[in-house]
Amino acid sequence: MKITNNISLTGYNGVLTETVFGTEPMEIVVPENSEFTAHILHISGPITLRVILNGEYAKCDIKIAYLSNKNNHNNIKVEVIHQYKNTASSQVIKGILTDTSKMVFDGIIRIPFDSQKCDGHQNHRAILLSDTASVQATPELEIYADDVKCSHGSAVGALDENHLFYLLSRGIPMDEAKKILLKSYVMEILPETWEQYVDEWMDENV
Amino acid sequence: MAFLEIKNLCAKVGEKQILKDFSLTINEGEIHAIMGPNGSGKSTLSNVIAGHPAYEVTAGSITFKGQDLLAMRADERANSGVFLAFQYPTELPGVGTALFLKTAINAKRKFLGLPDLDAVQFMKRLKTRATALGVTDEMLKRPVNVGFSGGEKKKMETFQMAFLEPDFCILDEMDSGLDIDALRVVANGVNVMHEPHRAFLLITHYQRLLDYIVPDFVHIMVDGKIVQSGDKTLALQLEEKGYENYK
Repeated sequence: MKITNNISLTGYNGVLTETVFGTEPMEIVVPENSEFTAHILHISGPITLRVILNGEYAKCDIKIAYLSNKNNHNNIKVEVIHQYKNTASSQVIKGILTDTSKMVFDGIIRIPFDSQKCDGHQNHRAILLSDTASVQATPELEIYADDVKCSHGSAVGALDENHLFYLLSRGIPMDEAKKILLKSYVMEILPETWEQYVDEWMDENV
Repeated sequence: MAFLEIKNLCAKVGEKQILKDFSLTINEGEIHAIMGPNGSGKSTLSNVIAGHPAYEVTAGSITFKGQDLLAMRADERANSGVFLAFQYPTELPGVGTALFLKTAINAKRKFLGLPDLDAVQFMKRLKTRATALGVTDEMLKRPVNVGFSGGEKKKMETFQMAFLEPDFCILDEMDSGLDIDALRVVANGVNVMHEPHRAFLLITHYQRLLDYIVPDFVHIMVDGKIVQSGDKTLALQLEEKGYENYK
């Protein structure tokens, strides 16, 4: 998909309001001085998203929350190509996994030789609610330019025991405390109106 | 029957034994202060009473209002009236303070067999307590403890305590990180709650806090147990001589 202006895509469970975000790989070409923003709540199916920052001062801001349950095995691949200098990208990916679900996450940032003064950041975090759920995260930075700012990070773990205890110590029962913490963790990167989808998932799976 | 009775309590974290045969009895209306050097087990004691899962009780008992406190989950202890004001209150990004308190108060009411507070009752209760402690609307709109200074966090702990109206309040190093003005606000928040049906346990390093909240009893804790008890003059002696004599 080629875009001509600033565009914001929001999608729940693979369906974006601006366009259909199916299981087919999707390519977004962002022209100069434009910004691509995406909020994605992923529950099932693969996502392959390729963003090409195709002009100076092109930007992208990608936020993906994934909720995996049962025996679902999914993969999310996000590739950002800084085709021009002075481009910037940010990816924040947050997941919650339960049961025997598995997520394979590949996050790629490519910055060719001539693309100086680029900013590329990627952060992936996942919370495992069961011992049998798993995440395989592979961040990949392919950077040929020498004057860029880049970072990536990935952390996988359980809910923070001290956070949980703080809620318990105020009389909030364990199940409710978990839901409050997990919901705030994903809602931090999603539009407020999607709260209902997250609630539904929490009620069934937490 | 004592209000809170801790008998021969032993507790450990991991393999490290921290509380060693600790005993203490607190009656309704009393204010007790526990003072002691770093590492004596003061914070462990407060976490064990509140039910932190990282601490394992290996011997002894805690009875609160006639009930076996150790048999209760942390949330049940809170709803029975135990409140811990934390030394380092946890930040909860994304969890709004008002929603957090509404969930907490209604959990307590459910536990006590009372109906939920409706929006109007809740807001009234929230505003009354907030005004008394100088907690602004803006502070209530923020996520729990996020972006607060050390002093503001302690003020919010006191505010939560006033809001939830517990019967037994543990204040773990309430004075650390507070300037004199903030200390006065926090101490005043405690003093207005000092009623005959409620008791307090203050945990502190310094005598300074006890100028503002006057204890009935002062205990010195060293290496996991109380080594001396007395009245408020004990704190003054301690300030002069330090903990050296107790080691």
